[in-house]
Amino acid sequence: MKITPVPFSLSRRSFLLAGAAASSRLAADKLFGAPGDTDSKPSPELEKLGAVALAEAKKHGATYADIRINRYRNQYCGYRLSPQRGSNKTDEVPFVTDQQSFGFGVRVIANGQWGFAASPLVMPEEIARITREAAAVAKANSALLASPVQLAPTKSYIDRWTSTFEKDPFAVSVDEKLELTHHAAFIVKKAPKVFSAFCFLWFRSEDKYFASSEGSSIQQYIVQGVPMLEATAVDVQKNISRTRRHQIEPASAGWETVAKANLLENAPRISAEVLEHLAAPPVKPGKKDLVLLPSHLWLTIHESLGHSTELDRALGYEANYAGTSFLTTDKMGKYQVGSQRVNVFGDRTNDRGLATVKYDDDGVRTTKFPIVEKGLFKHYQTIRDQAHLIGETESRGCCYADSWSSVPFQRMPNVWLESGAREVTPDDLISGVDDGILIDGEGSFSIDQQRYNFQFGGDAFWEIKAGKKRGMISRVAYQSKTTDFWQACDGIAGPGYWQQFGALNDGKGEPGQSNAVSHGCSPARFRQINVLLTD
Amino acid sequence: MLSEQQARNLIDKVISFSRLPECQVDVYWTEDVFIRFANNGITTSGYRITQEVSIRSATGDKREGSSVVTELTDEALKLGAEQAEQLAAISRPNPEYMPALGPQKYLPLRNFDSFTGSARGDVMIPHVKAVIESARQNQLTAAGFIQRSANAAAVGNKAGLFGYHTYTESSLTNTMRTAGGTSSGWASQTSVSLKDVNGETAARISVEKCLRGAGTRKKLDPGKYTVILEPAGVSDLIGYLGWSFSARAAEQGQSFLSKQGGGTHLGEKMFPESITLRSDPLNARLGASPWGPSLLPNQPIAWIEKGVVKNLYYDRFWAGKAGKQPTPAPSDLVLEGQDNTLEDLIRSTEKGLLITRLWYIRTLQPQTLQLTGLTRDGVFLVENGKVTDPVTNYRWNESPVRVLQNTKKLTQPVRAQGAEAGASIVPAMVVADFNLASVSDAV
Repeated sequence: MKITPVPFSLSRRSFLLAGAAASSRLAADKLFGAPGDTDSKPSPELEKLGAVALAEAKKHGATYADIRINRYRNQYCGYRLSPQRGSNKTDEVPFVTDQQSFGFGVRVIANGQWGFAASPLVMPEEIARITREAAAVAKANSALLASPVQLAPTKSYIDRWTSTFEKDPFAVSVDEKLELTHHAAFIVKKAPKVFSAFCFLWFRSEDKYFASSEGSSIQQYIVQGVPMLEATAVDVQKNISRTRRHQIEPASAGWETVAKANLLENAPRISAEVLEHLAAPPVKPGKKDLVLLPSHLWLTIHESLGHSTELDRALGYEANYAGTSFLTTDKMGKYQVGSQRVNVFGDRTNDRGLATVKYDDDGVRTTKFPIVEKGLFKHYQTIRDQAHLIGETESRGCCYADSWSSVPFQRMPNVWLESGAREVTPDDLISGVDDGILIDGEGSFSIDQQRYNFQFGGDAFWEIKAGKKRGMISRVAYQSKTTDFWQACDGIAGPGYWQQFGALNDGKGEPGQSNAVSHGCSPARFRQINVLLTD
Repeated sequence: MLSEQQARNLIDKVISFSRLPECQVDVYWTEDVFIRFANNGITTSGYRITQEVSIRSATGDKREGSSVVTELTDEALKLGAEQAEQLAAISRPNPEYMPALGPQKYLPLRNFDSFTGSARGDVMIPHVKAVIESARQNQLTAAGFIQRSANAAAVGNKAGLFGYHTYTESSLTNTMRTAGGTSSGWASQTSVSLKDVNGETAARISVEKCLRGAGTRKKLDPGKYTVILEPAGVSDLIGYLGWSFSARAAEQGQSFLSKQGGGTHLGEKMFPESITLRSDPLNARLGASPWGPSLLPNQPIAWIEKGVVKNLYYDRFWAGKAGKQPTPAPSDLVLEGQDNTLEDLIRSTEKGLLITRLWYIRTLQPQTLQLTGLTRDGVFLVENGKVTDPVTNYRWNESPVRVLQNTKKLTQPVRAQGAEAGASIVPAMVVADFNLASVSDAV
């Protein structure tokens, strides 16, 4: 690609012009090329570096090796508007940061055991040294090998892929981003009773290169966007505070995520709703019907059905940290986890999903597969080195490492709930409820280490009485058991109401890693769930 | 290891590229080695080096921008400095901006252990082996994690401030499970020195818990119980409490230290005489840093002394507004204990539940600090001073404020780490009226 040195300038205008090109002098830029590059093959420079690791691994007795050379960029900017000490005046606090991380990790199998090593110095000598370290780690650890690593076969691929985005969010000026976030937060804070407003935009990209000793050479680029707008209200007399968030789907997408969020149009609503939440009466606890919106239900799907169907958990690989699963391997294909209406897919191919990618970090082409079919548990999320343990012959493409310095392991694909019949509307779900609650957005969330017992709050709650949505209520949490909860699902709205919420910070593994994942769903109804009044 | 001179050179280089009045450079360097095991064998393990240079620049009119780079070539550092300055130039003035601090005197800390800093597989594998052999001898399945890290952190700015610090961290945790998944036991060791890690000891504790839990588990009705919380659980609860000492949040009605109607609980006796909570960055058992987020020197400070709320956390900005001296941030927490052992606590309990650790803790209300979470890896009935039957796990909804208020007895404190917060030095404690909300079938 073209390398353009840019003269230093402090003027706002010249920054706008120079911003994108300024980063072109980094070694990482030279290797990965520009996001818009239309090449169908990986960069030859990356392939040369990859070959160093593969050759060195072979020389040191590795029966398998792969290298990932990755660069990540995270740009955050936004505004916090909050009151000055002892005054009603507002401080408007801007923030902006742009962070890059670049390096490589090498995985080898030697003596039947995995070894891994990583370094930020992306140069041939260091790649060779680190590959030797990885081989040494594998050989040392083979002394305590339970059984030799077996990889499910995969085709080899030479490919280059870019996630779908309309407008590169990093090419949009920071000036425009600050202007927008300030404006949205300002509208929220305009109501004198609103305590504080917070608005930020987070853009993340992953440049990934993968080469394996089985002949794969894959370059991928992923762009993600997370806009956020939140209001907080405080009642000092009652000693309570409430928040309200504009619910926005984070997505593998470009600047269009921000445009779609309509921050300015929604700011007055958030401002009014946080005050309504602050004044809302407490819930009367007991068994109630729940109508859960996609902005809320995604997290319940994630915790209850997403994590319980991870094969590494079921096999005990996470026993010391994230936990195991109530869905033990003997239950696969035989166990009813939900009602007949419940169809759930694992999918790393769906449009705008945060876990969507063409090839996983094992170099496996990603897929869509049923996890729950008509309430029956069908399949686990799998990777190459575990598929054979449940008699399967190929991986379902769920391997991911959150950094060049992290070991790839089984992570969650997008796990989404199929919508109901076309004609079913959210109002239909509500009209069938005599005494219930409509819940929007995420609140507190907690689930046990085998994914039975969970408790969820929310961002906003409305009472449903005699089939009608009434005013807001507060201090709501519901508690249930995964199978009881999904068995109680008796209505799901149609595909027109399907939305895809998610998060970029799903933690698992030791050392801990973060995964980005989406959980699409339509609003759904759950009968007679135990509702608590929180203190 | 990134040496002091190398760190200084890096910082000086970035500053030499800076043209704005203020530039602060933070450098982090880590080398870590880890081994993960499960199903009685090693699964994944690694050796890695990570490094990061964080650059914060500011204009004369309080506009700030920051960048982070991991490439350390002159070109990359120059670009990082330029990017931070360009972002500052484009940003807006920050009304809460604090001018850069000049040179500071940082306390020398002794939390780097050279044995730990250079340990590799040959030192760590025998501990893993001891755990796995112990599992096999008892027909159990072991999973766990052992790690060590050698870390260097440095900070410098254009106003002449410079700090450099090295520390090590290590830990071994392990979980033993019965073949049918009917019982689970856990043990953890965490220290700045890998010499304090011992696979045999860790395995003995987790095996004992797992075997003790293998009988029929009693399912007691949810409700309020006297509990004996082991240090890992206390560490998590104290971590949540520590994060809530912000003067700003307290004064503005957003913390358990906010008073109904306005004001704070500073100076009030909210807790029993036995409760003293402080930050102790000089404690060589913790991986403390000589400076905090404001870059002021870290120093010991009491948050609660003999039950009285002694201090709130004032950052430089809020302290300036309040006319107070800034305080260190709550970190490196130490909760003082009493001259008892865990056995003493059990012996003195007529009826209660012994809880190994807590899991998946989240906040429900900041003003009460009510949290929700679960028990995990060993809950046992204590009757007439003895541990008797295993009991199911529970979801609990409880506040660490009430927990400290209801604390009846403590052990000597030890360094411990749970599932959520970092390491702290805390005792085990007997707590009355702990709210167990519902049964969890998880093992």
